[in-house]
Amino acid sequence: MSASPKNPSAAPAAPGVHPKRLWSFRPASDRQAGDAIVSNFMLHWFPAKSYKASLAWNYSFWLGTASAALLLLLVLSGLPLLFLYIPSVERAYASVKDIEYVITFGSWIRAVHRISAHLMVAAVFLHLVRVFLAGGYKNGVGQGQKREWNWVIGVAMLLLTLFLSFTGYLLPWDQLAYWAVTVGTNIASSVPYVGPTVRELLIGGRTIEQATLIRFYVLHVLFLPMLIGVLFGYHMWRVRKDGGLARADAARLLSDRQDVAPTPSKTYTLLGLARGTSPQVRASSLEAQGTTVNSIPDLTRRIAIVVLGTIALVGILSVFVRSPLEEPANPLITPNPAKAPWYFLWLQEIVTDTTLHIGSFTINGAFLGGVLLPGVLVALMTAWPWLDRSPGTAAGAWFASSRRRQNFVFLLLVAGVIALTVVGTFLRGPYWHFYWPWQAWPELPSRI
Amino acid sequence: MTKDRREFLLNLGIGSGIAALGAQTVASMRSLVPNVSYDSPTTVKIGMPNDFADGLQFLPDQRLYVFRDGRTFHAISAVCTHLGCTVRAEALSQTETKTVDGKPLRLTHRFLCPCHGSRYSGDGTNVSGPAPKPLAWYHLSVAPEDGQLVVDLARPVDRDFRLTVV
Repeated sequence: MSASPKNPSAAPAAPGVHPKRLWSFRPASDRQAGDAIVSNFMLHWFPAKSYKASLAWNYSFWLGTASAALLLLLVLSGLPLLFLYIPSVERAYASVKDIEYVITFGSWIRAVHRISAHLMVAAVFLHLVRVFLAGGYKNGVGQGQKREWNWVIGVAMLLLTLFLSFTGYLLPWDQLAYWAVTVGTNIASSVPYVGPTVRELLIGGRTIEQATLIRFYVLHVLFLPMLIGVLFGYHMWRVRKDGGLARADAARLLSDRQDVAPTPSKTYTLLGLARGTSPQVRASSLEAQGTTVNSIPDLTRRIAIVVLGTIALVGILSVFVRSPLEEPANPLITPNPAKAPWYFLWLQEIVTDTTLHIGSFTINGAFLGGVLLPGVLVALMTAWPWLDRSPGTAAGAWFASSRRRQNFVFLLLVAGVIALTVVGTFLRGPYWHFYWPWQAWPELPSRI
Repeated sequence: MTKDRREFLLNLGIGSGIAALGAQTVASMRSLVPNVSYDSPTTVKIGMPNDFADGLQFLPDQRLYVFRDGRTFHAISAVCTHLGCTVRAEALSQTETKTVDGKPLRLTHRFLCPCHGSRYSGDGTNVSGPAPKPLAWYHLSVAPEDGQLVVDLARPVDRDFRLTVV
């Protein structure tokens, strides 16, 4: 057969040579589907075949893909902002104000950046919740699986996402920014012995000034994105090395260890795709017939839906939701109440409530609630795959009965964080007093 | 023999590579530690004593409350001891006199923090909320050259400190 472009079913000239320049949306054969993956630079990190069960919408909810799409949006919308924003304490606020009110489409670009950031915090957090509840960090039947390490990478990326948000929202150098740095770096400074030095290093001096802004700026636009990019690459690579989602193991377990007669369906070439002529192998039934589908188009189509859907959602939301900009940073006046963004309000609530007085001895809530408690939570989360002693059958199974207790405790913690976030968001007023939503806040002077 | 030399040279190469990388990393990191502080000075002239009315005055630049009671002055920091927000003063409906560190003090205000709800009484004592310790009191003096009040923000003092201006 000749490989004419008019006839997509034509076999390529040699294995691994794909007749199309990019990829086949409708591959005519398994071989063409496999070739399209292997020979395409953009797709080579995907498997040629995917497990149907892993692709199910209601297994993973595609939260990881959504997070990646949001990261992509953040990078893309960050690029024009990079040209427009000026990292100087005198001009930062004015440049953001220009982006918001003067520059054509500036407010939309800023809104895309801001909304993507908010959604990314939520998506990454939900992704973590999903992976925990479904036992996604557990190893199943595959050899050399190290899913626990991918979980650790994931936790690191959640922290990076939060730190990126933190460094991002202080760049406008408005009141929110200034008092967030003040509180944030004072939390660091509450650590016994090393705290004040750490704070001085973070803000480049003893007062929050130009040195502080440029430090957080470089972290935000260069250092942290690079770090999260590298970790993201490793995260994806590990998913491949670990044999896909844990769900694939669960699907495989059923039929595993059953030797089947050698069939001509497995070959050494092309990732075991091509039917036909090469040496046959004994398959110990990695997949029962019909458990896998070609990644093109089944995987790529879903990825396109999630990515394009995310882009559409953010793009449209950004038309309607304006990004706030508070008054310019004023070291003299703390806003009342001074609230962090929603994803840090549970921490603000905790540092409020955890100062302990034991006799004449006092533990600052800044240290207990701001450093120790989050530190313990992160340490527990990081170490959990090694503490989880449930059997491999729990890998990739939502609410597995062998993991009922830990799922329950985890959900309690998640509920606690959400509850504190709600309290901080809706039930705290001036002087951080408690107000029910139907109680009016008292009239207080906005300035001293 | 040859192998020993090879191994030695290999280790020497690797070792000096690591040492070079380490030194460069240290140098780069060290450059980020400031050697000079451009912070505003901690000893500041805040005006003539007679420019202060009786009662309390807030000095935003120093984040300081200055109290005048007749001829005596004292100064309390407005920086919350919890996480460094600026506390706000709220006038009491009726003043009370309390003995603080052995000296009587007329309390006219209390202090509230907008960030995490710490509360301090008029002498700076932390009353409720997450604040771990009282607001700092700072040293006041009179500048010999022009008679202005001078606050030393690097010199906390006990709460029986009063500056009496004649």
